[in-house]
Amino acid sequence: MANDVVEDHPYLPGGLITLDQWKTPETSVQKSIRGAFRDILDQLRAGISPEEQAFQSLDDLPMLSGDRLREFAPEPDAALLAKVLVDQFDQLCRDGAGHREVSFVVAPPFSGVPEALRCLSRRVLTPPDNLLMTEQDAGRWWDEQLSGGDWAIPELADFWLRHPAGLNLLRELFARIALDHAGNGMVGCSSWCWQFWRQYSPELSLAPYTLAPLTGEQLTRWLDYLASGDGEQQVTARMTRDGLYVLPAPRQDSDLKYSSFNQDLATLARGNRGVALAIWQRTLRARPEKDDEDSGKEAVLVAGRRCWVAPLDQLSLPSVPASAGRQPSHILHALLLHDGLNTEQLALATGMQKPDIALTLDRLIRAELVGRDQASDVYRVTPLGYPAVRKNLQARGYPVDGF
Amino acid sequence: MGDFGFKETFSSITSDALLEALAVVILASVLIMLVQKLIPALAGKLGGKLRLYLLASVPLLRLLIIVLTIVTVVPILVEPSFENMVAIFGALGLALGFAFKDYANSLIAGIVTLYEMPYRPGDWIEVNGRYGEVRSIGTRAAEIVTLDDTVIVIPHSLLWNTLLANGNDGTDNLMCVAELHLDPNHNVARMQHLFRDVVFTCPLTKTYQPVVVTVSATDDAMRYRLKAYPLEPREQSRFISDLTARAADVCAREGVRMVSKRVTDAA
Repeated sequence: MANDVVEDHPYLPGGLITLDQWKTPETSVQKSIRGAFRDILDQLRAGISPEEQAFQSLDDLPMLSGDRLREFAPEPDAALLAKVLVDQFDQLCRDGAGHREVSFVVAPPFSGVPEALRCLSRRVLTPPDNLLMTEQDAGRWWDEQLSGGDWAIPELADFWLRHPAGLNLLRELFARIALDHAGNGMVGCSSWCWQFWRQYSPELSLAPYTLAPLTGEQLTRWLDYLASGDGEQQVTARMTRDGLYVLPAPRQDSDLKYSSFNQDLATLARGNRGVALAIWQRTLRARPEKDDEDSGKEAVLVAGRRCWVAPLDQLSLPSVPASAGRQPSHILHALLLHDGLNTEQLALATGMQKPDIALTLDRLIRAELVGRDQASDVYRVTPLGYPAVRKNLQARGYPVDGF
Repeated sequence: MGDFGFKETFSSITSDALLEALAVVILASVLIMLVQKLIPALAGKLGGKLRLYLLASVPLLRLLIIVLTIVTVVPILVEPSFENMVAIFGALGLALGFAFKDYANSLIAGIVTLYEMPYRPGDWIEVNGRYGEVRSIGTRAAEIVTLDDTVIVIPHSLLWNTLLANGNDGTDNLMCVAELHLDPNHNVARMQHLFRDVVFTCPLTKTYQPVVVTVSATDDAMRYRLKAYPLEPREQSRFISDLTARAADVCAREGVRMVSKRVTDAA
């Protein structure tokens, strides 16, 4: 397919790509080996010092918070991402790549796709209260939902439950999409949910697209665009330790010395923009290690707002608690498969008793691996905890997503 | 030559040399003990393939230490000339051949085990009707722990003439089978489909490995076999129990009666 990758946009660097084009950001062999050793040490350490599971900053520099944090590392604009996504799908259609009536975006957690699809000027379908349905009930439910014009499903993972009676709704939808009997729609699907259904139905082929993973360079452009917009007020970010530049994005005529921070951050986050942003927010500092570092000459070179960035080795990200049993991993895996669940749904999906779920959730929340959405009472894996959770699940043999 | 040259061979052994050799042997024993304690403890904290690799390295490291110890100790005690070596190994051969034939048999089989690797620590094997996880591979015998937590010592010499079944063969993929016997006269295709859902929705299933549900007719029942891989071989009992319980729920919901194996056999 010559038209697999569509035009680049600063808000969606790399554009939309097919799933087989996705690959993790490149890193050096030395850093890979160091990372592998660190993972093993983390696993061993988890059993020794369980009280040190949550996020920790190992420096004493003041962190940015509140308005200043929103100024330098704001949350992405979902409406803008939605517009870019629609533009890119339109271009794919013009190029003859999108031949289905239902467009499918598979993306890893925290990619911002569900939030973007909720901003579309389409009818947003929400899941039924009871996900345990018979085949007949599922058919009738979709008949009602799909009959009213263009629609969007922000997160397909909300429409099923890993339970023998919780699969019918999605099975029915996939059959309709495959036969083009579902009308005109746009579906966002978590990569974990997609992975399960690809294994459950190996014949499933809905030609999904995904967001390109952010390389170090693309991450720099994206963070720069988030903070500076179209460039009215440039943001400068420099390393606290050596003063090397992280932002703004380097220009061709620039003679500034840049840090490899964004490359390392992209590798750590596996190109996942949501995870990268969460870590980025925790690295921002109000001042450097030595205040006298900033020379007058450099201040002239880069004008605008300025903040400082702590090195990644000064952060200790949350780690999965060592446990004799499988319960924490079962819960974490179920939360990722369904993009968040409440305790009743967790009991159905994991087969665990509610008191056990409550105890385990409490432990996971204290470790900052899981957060609770107060409004919906749904528990979700946190973006800061996601790298550790994914590695832990993979090491323990769980099926993990391809991203 | 009535004494096969032993007198000359061992005449150079002094008390200092003996002490030095003893120190080397003690050091090697301590090292072996550390390897046998620390590495399995370390492996216990890790999951997946890394655990299996670490466990498999224990017998290899022990063999390496033993060989290095012999290579170090022999020159300390005797001059490593051709005649001396012939005398020592000849005497060893005689002793092993007559007095410790079975023991030597197991020792040699133990070395073959390390080379051919018919089983490694972490493998689930069945030998002479005994099934369990290989806990350790000693110089003479391997120890397996059964599902009922009983340790069984299996001499390596059994390797020469015994059929050995290895369930996971050095990997962490162990196929398990949950077997159900159902009353005939039901919708077989639907039950197969529902049982497949049962396997996929069990949280202990490795969904990226094959999932197969087979059915065959016996005299009085339809026999279903749910074949899948658990997340870890050690969880096979829990996995099979979970699959059976979930499948029984499905049978109850569908109104299909389960038939116990004993009833089927008696009929």
